[in-house]
Amino acid sequence: MKFRVERDVLADAVAWTARTLPVRPSVPVLAGMLLDADDVDGHQRLTLSSFDYEVSAQVSVDVDIDEPGRILVSGKLLAEIVRNLPPQTVEVSTDGAKVVVSCGSAKFTILTLPVEDYPTLPAMPALTGSVLSDTFAAAVSQVAVAAGRDDTLPMLTGVRIEIEGSTVTLVSTDRYRLAVRELTWTPEDPNVSAVALVPAKTLADTAKSLTGGAQISIALSTAENGGEGMIGFEGGGRRTTTRLLEGEFPKYRKLLPESFNSVAEVQKNEFIEAVKRVSLVAERNTPLRLSFTSDRLVLEAGTGEEAQAVEELSATLEGDDIQIAFNSTFLLDGLNAIESDVAHLQFTTSTKPAIITGKPADDGTASDYRYLIMPVRISN
Amino acid sequence: MVFIINPVGASRATRSRRTGSVLFVRLVIARCSVDYVGRLTAHLPMAPRLILIKADGSVSIHADDRAYKPLNWMNPPCTLREQPGEDGNPTVWTVTHAKSGEKLVLTIEEILHDSTHELGVDPGLQKDGVEAHLQELLAEHITTLGEGYTLIRREYPTAIGPVDILCRDGNGTTVAVEIKRRGEIDGVEQLTRYLELLNRDPTLRPVRGIFAAQEIRPQARVLAADRGITCVTLDYDALRGIEPDEMRLF
Repeated sequence: MKFRVERDVLADAVAWTARTLPVRPSVPVLAGMLLDADDVDGHQRLTLSSFDYEVSAQVSVDVDIDEPGRILVSGKLLAEIVRNLPPQTVEVSTDGAKVVVSCGSAKFTILTLPVEDYPTLPAMPALTGSVLSDTFAAAVSQVAVAAGRDDTLPMLTGVRIEIEGSTVTLVSTDRYRLAVRELTWTPEDPNVSAVALVPAKTLADTAKSLTGGAQISIALSTAENGGEGMIGFEGGGRRTTTRLLEGEFPKYRKLLPESFNSVAEVQKNEFIEAVKRVSLVAERNTPLRLSFTSDRLVLEAGTGEEAQAVEELSATLEGDDIQIAFNSTFLLDGLNAIESDVAHLQFTTSTKPAIITGKPADDGTASDYRYLIMPVRISN
Repeated sequence: MVFIINPVGASRATRSRRTGSVLFVRLVIARCSVDYVGRLTAHLPMAPRLILIKADGSVSIHADDRAYKPLNWMNPPCTLREQPGEDGNPTVWTVTHAKSGEKLVLTIEEILHDSTHELGVDPGLQKDGVEAHLQELLAEHITTLGEGYTLIRREYPTAIGPVDILCRDGNGTTVAVEIKRRGEIDGVEQLTRYLELLNRDPTLRPVRGIFAAQEIRPQARVLAADRGITCVTLDYDALRGIEPDEMRLF
């Protein structure tokens, strides 16, 4: 095998593929990255792949091939080397059981791993639909923030993707907050109806890294339609698959309150800054207390025995005055996730969940993102 | 803490004039300075300190902080010689190690407290209680592992020891469960041995494994996955039915 490629092109492709290399490979070849230089439909392409039996990643870039071939090398080492090469043309060629990577005056010789032992990457399931990559990345980051990190409830570490025709709903919850976002997409079959539970961290990383192309294609195969429960994403020459999580996601729709006793509006950035400041004195697991009156919001944290902080903001409130307390990190996650400049908060009582959304548009359409947050009991 | 009774050290160290016994712990609070003379030389200036003289003869000097590790100490076997203060000379206690001859010299200005207590033989730290309780709870709530699970029995006997739980999953496949507080590599190894044995039994096989723990180390997870063993993290409080104090959505 022998090919030439610009350093930046190779560095991007290698770095992206290396993200899914297993940290603790149970089989040594899984630490490898597969490089396949070949003619694909008349184009000279280099395809890089990594796989850890859960997540697979594959990217293909244009290169100049002198001699096609397939090799497996240590992915971590290759990524380190390529990242540090000077910005010139890189030449990669095999020399017996070794690979020579040369760029400018630098030359590396690295060992190859047995390519015949490398597992076959899972095939991409059939295309289910496509979505604008920026919209998808934003939506996923808004939702993934509420996913659980505790392995005792594995189904809460995922983002649930509900597909119903041209609407996709993303939702995740860790039992203290719940984030739900609706977006429209272009399904292959306008009557499609499907549900998948995708590991939140993998999904967030994937969505963020596929914004290079305008669209992301999503391919889903669930156990119901005979597959083995897998979702694939493809965009900008990159494709990745991940195994779905099992387990029953809580029936979340009934958790979303229908009616409210009061609705507040606060300038988001001012609110975020104030929460950060006041929560400096909130010890771990002690709440941030909010008091809303018709034109004021008072934030307080800390107790009389220790440090205390208080800050006042202008806000509007319709309905009953309310005093409510939150975990400040959870509150900040919600405020940071909304897209509007004005935070819209809906309350029932101080012991019932509140909903944070962006300020609804003037035409009265409901916000497509909702962040449900459970208050913390105020101790007297 | 387990007391290792060292008769040599004990008889010399704590057969004081006041107690005449060998199995007492003696607590002294005194203003003292301490000098250690031996492989290294260390000095603690005059200050109030807690001096513990345990039944095995060991002497340790504590300051008023941290839960373990004294400022200075002498392990058994050792002897304590008390030299009362006379003619303006302060009281001096000398602890001498029976083998190395290293010395701990306590110069005592004032004794603020001095008492002895008989603790008897310590039953030892009971760590396995939680593990046994986890086994009991998981057997009671076997569907924690998944829908349709049914219990065969706890402590299922094999030639190399009992398997914590043997059960069947929703498809009727036999499942061996190993329960640990902390899931480490050796727990996976243990379960692997059981599985190998159980899979020789034509009435049970195929038997798959579940490694259940409150916390599973990443290395153990990798090894388990490699051997086709499922990992399950257990929530002890949830199994016991203890609801957390904080409010949750569900």
